[in-house]
Amino acid sequence: MHLLDIRNLTIELNTGDHVIRAVDKVNLSLKEGEVHALVGESGSGKSLIAKALMGVLNERWQVTADRIHWQGVDLMRLPPEKRRKLIGKEIAMIYQEPSSCLDPTAKIFEQIAESIPEQGLSGYFWQRKKQRKQRATALLHKVGIKRHTKVLDSYPHELSEGVCQKVMIAMAIARSPKLLIADEPTTALESTTRAQIFRLLKSLNQLKSMSILMISHELAELNDWTHGLHVLYCGQMVEAGPSKKVFGSPKHPYTQALIKSSPEHNVALEHKSELYALKGTIPTLQHLPIGCRLGPRCPQAQKDCVATPQANDFHGHTVACHFPLSQK
Amino acid sequence: MQPILKVQALNKQYKTRDGLFRSRFFSALENVSFCLNKGETLAVIGETGSGKSTLGRILAGAEASDRGQILLQGQIIEDDGKRIVHSKELRLIFQDPMKSLNPSLTIEKILSEILELNTQLNEQQRRDKINETLLTVGLLAEHRNYYAHMFSGGQIQRVALARAIILDPLVLILDEALSSLDPSVRAQTVNLLLSLQRKIGLSYVLITNHLSLVRHMSDSLLILDQGKAIEYGKTSELFSCAQSKQGQRLLSC
Ligand SMILES: Nc1ncnc2c1ncn2[C@@H]1O[C@H](COP(=O)(O)OP(=O)(O)OP(=O)(O)O)[C@@H](O)[C@H]1O
Ligand SMILES: Nc1ncnc2c1ncn2[C@@H]1O[C@H](COP(=O)(O)OP(=O)(O)O)[C@@H](O)[C@H]1O
Ligand code: SF4
Ligand SMILES: [Mg+2]
Ligand SMILES: [Mg+2]
Repeated sequence: MHLLDIRNLTIELNTGDHVIRAVDKVNLSLKEGEVHALVGESGSGKSLIAKALMGVLNERWQVTADRIHWQGVDLMRLPPEKRRKLIGKEIAMIYQEPSSCLDPTAKIFEQIAESIPEQGLSGYFWQRKKQRKQRATALLHKVGIKRHTKVLDSYPHELSEGVCQKVMIAMAIARSPKLLIADEPTTALESTTRAQIFRLLKSLNQLKSMSILMISHELAELNDWTHGLHVLYCGQMVEAGPSKKVFGSPKHPYTQALIKSSPEHNVALEHKSELYALKGTIPTLQHLPIGCRLGPRCPQAQKDCVATPQANDFHGHTVACHFPLSQK
Repeated sequence: MQPILKVQALNKQYKTRDGLFRSRFFSALENVSFCLNKGETLAVIGETGSGKSTLGRILAGAEASDRGQILLQGQIIEDDGKRIVHSKELRLIFQDPMKSLNPSLTIEKILSEILELNTQLNEQQRRDKINETLLTVGLLAEHRNYYAHMFSGGQIQRVALARAIILDPLVLILDEALSSLDPSVRAQTVNLLLSLQRKIGLSYVLITNHLSLVRHMSDSLLILDQGKAIEYGKTSELFSCAQSKQGQRLLSC
């Protein structure tokens, strides 16, 4: 059974005079114990999808979907109170903006202690307090913070961005959630810690069979341990499928551009020479191009592309393009 | 050739609480020195909390150092914590751009205010300059009417870049400004930065932990560890033979 199954998720913003569709009919499903990656241009709606799932978008956003099934229960049909409870217990999210998600008025220890579940603790309250301290320290060690005493006793503004990000990760895994949504969790981290965090998530996935939805740009680092890869452009899912297939033989021009433009892809490149990049920028949501949204920037575009391409399924590898790339 | 930016024995301490009443000093930077030539890039790497952003903030004048000098084109601009010249030639792009943009103003207002304060341009000229800058960083002219919260994480980085280059600075300090971008936008931004460097000889202090970017973009490299410079030299040489254990570890991943 699918752990999470989202069908035709649409997210719209009501600006007063008109409605902007930021995410358009996106499908996404993952099984228990799987790791999926969500990649795409900045502004393509990755964070919106994650926030919609967590139910933290404010009332200006309208979220509709044919279904959002969590272990067979349709979240769309649950009363908000019940939904929040269910999600709070089983799904955890690491938000993209660490400093704005930590409470600036509380010390790190209080914030971590709050996310440690009561069930694991026993004894009188002073014993519990000690246990909390131990758990918090252990969590910080796990995410690679060595100076735990100083960090636990600090306010967020006294810490560097990278440490805040690590604290957020510690808080998210404190409850051992069934599903962890990680929105660009490693952007402010140094290479050694980034590798350490990826290893930690990998082991949580294998040992505790925690499912993970990773929103990240480190394509090269994601490829070897994610099961599925979803590529988003301008609010639409342009390509999705098993990571090996999507990464190894991309069929959509945008996916290919993403892979080709990472500096890791071309290590033999001359110093300070130009990297491969698509021309132009992602359009604003108010002025989307007609037909394929990649159209104006696509190196393969042809006349037919003024019609919106439908998603085609090649053995579980879906591509929305009129002229999918063929393999060499 | 005279270096465009020279930093001599920079020191910075923060007061931290220790118990209820006592306070202790914590050294965020200790005797950091380096030179940067025109049209070159210095990369700064180091673990989280090693003092990279502190260095960036001090260079840009957003914070004062305790001891040490900063020289721009041979002229002392900060001496032992006293900012002597407030220079618009040194601009910083923050690690967290949201914090540095006023949420109640449109992008046009934000950019226009900077021009009003620092240049003699009239309204029409300001308007043109803003349009031109937005296009340079890969945004559209219509983005001028957006508020900061309407951009996604990667787009806001471009706004920050626009804000930094609109005054035509000599040195740009990029604090992890490229990390939150997706590969295709990052490649575009890297190309943009490199072409600005070729065309107008802009120098960069690139604070990042993306080793492939460091290797591709930088001429020299400074490695910080707990506020101390443990390695400093040509990028190509350091990658092949770093001296310290810590340096080797950071460069090997
Ligand atoms: N206002 C402050 N009060 C007390 N300590 C501070 C303050 N600002 C920074 N520090 C401390 O100074 C040290 C250096 O911080 P800095 O932000 O320069 O790190 P960084 O190298 O940029 O790390 P990152 O890669 O995580 O951004 C950290 O240990 C941090 O906790
Ligand atoms: N409050 C808002 N008002 C208007 N547009 C918004 C708002 N928040 C986000 N958007 C737009 O929604 C789109 C998707 O944003 P987001 O999900 O954050 O992108 P990303 O894929 O980079 O995470 C972007 O085009 C962004 O400009
Ligand atoms: S449908 Fe056409 S424009 Fe769109 S990605 Fe495919 S080839 Fe390019
Ligand atoms: Mg995002
Ligand atoms: Mg920093």
